[in-house]
Amino acid sequence: MTPPNNPFIQADGKKPTCMEMLQVIIDGEATNEQQEYFKNHMDRCLPCFKSYDLDMAIKRLLKTKCCGSDAPTDLVEQIKMQISQNTPS
Amino acid sequence: MEETITRNNYSEKEKNDIFNGEFLPHINSMYNFGFRLTLDRDDAKDLVQDTYLKAYRFIESFQKGTNAKAWLFRILKNSFINDYRKKTKEPSKVDYQEVETYYNSEDVNRQITPDLRVESLKDMIGDEISNALNSLDVDFRTVIILCDLEGFKYEEMAKILDIPIGTVRSRLHRARNLLKEKLSEYAKSMGYKNTEL
Repeated sequence: MTPPNNPFIQADGKKPTCMEMLQVIIDGEATNEQQEYFKNHMDRCLPCFKSYDLDMAIKRLLKTKCCGSDAPTDLVEQIKMQISQNTPS
Repeated sequence: MEETITRNNYSEKEKNDIFNGEFLPHINSMYNFGFRLTLDRDDAKDLVQDTYLKAYRFIESFQKGTNAKAWLFRILKNSFINDYRKKTKEPSKVDYQEVETYYNSEDVNRQITPDLRVESLKDMIGDEISNALNSLDVDFRTVIILCDLEGFKYEEMAKILDIPIGTVRSRLHRARNLLKEKLSEYAKSMGYKNTEL
């Protein structure tokens, strides 16, 4: 049974693919209505169910593993020094 | 996309308050972005320094209290394209028209990504994900950095990259498939077999 109104359908009337809906959900861009719709959809769609877990796991892994490059400690001082040299007093 | 730029006549104190209070708190994210773009720590440092100097020079076109992080990321991205990328003489490897035409074709419904399972990601505790991200072409890498590392919304990404939201979505979709292909290669090399549920 398909709910009559798919809230992912855009103004142009084009029906979204599973991957398009999933992306909106994963990226936190979905409205409450879209989230509710997708939750029901996922119960009936095995590819979406599998992809959701995988995509969320990759997103979490990216966040925890690729954000650790802190700026060198002297960078802020260097920037401030350059600004003060370039600013007429 | 025409934007009206409002000039704000800030006093020196206001300028410094904005710079210290709204710009500098993003230094680590900016450096990480610079590093992920250039893949070199010295180049990243130069790029970030150059970005902050430009931000200070053009501070009057920044509206106090608005999205400073997106504004700074946009300057850094433009500096990278205009200054750094030209120096590297590296030709662009991707024909975006081709990519985006592909995305909009019927083929997109085909599952491009090879089998990759959540279980295999659990063993990627080293640099695998970082190396996979770094191996992507810089424009695909950029959308993943902005979305997944920095948490920008599609609308903010569109402004930072000067592209329509539809292109943000399609580029992100393609970038993630390429990333999954890389991760799948790592998973295979770690001994995981492709197994259908």
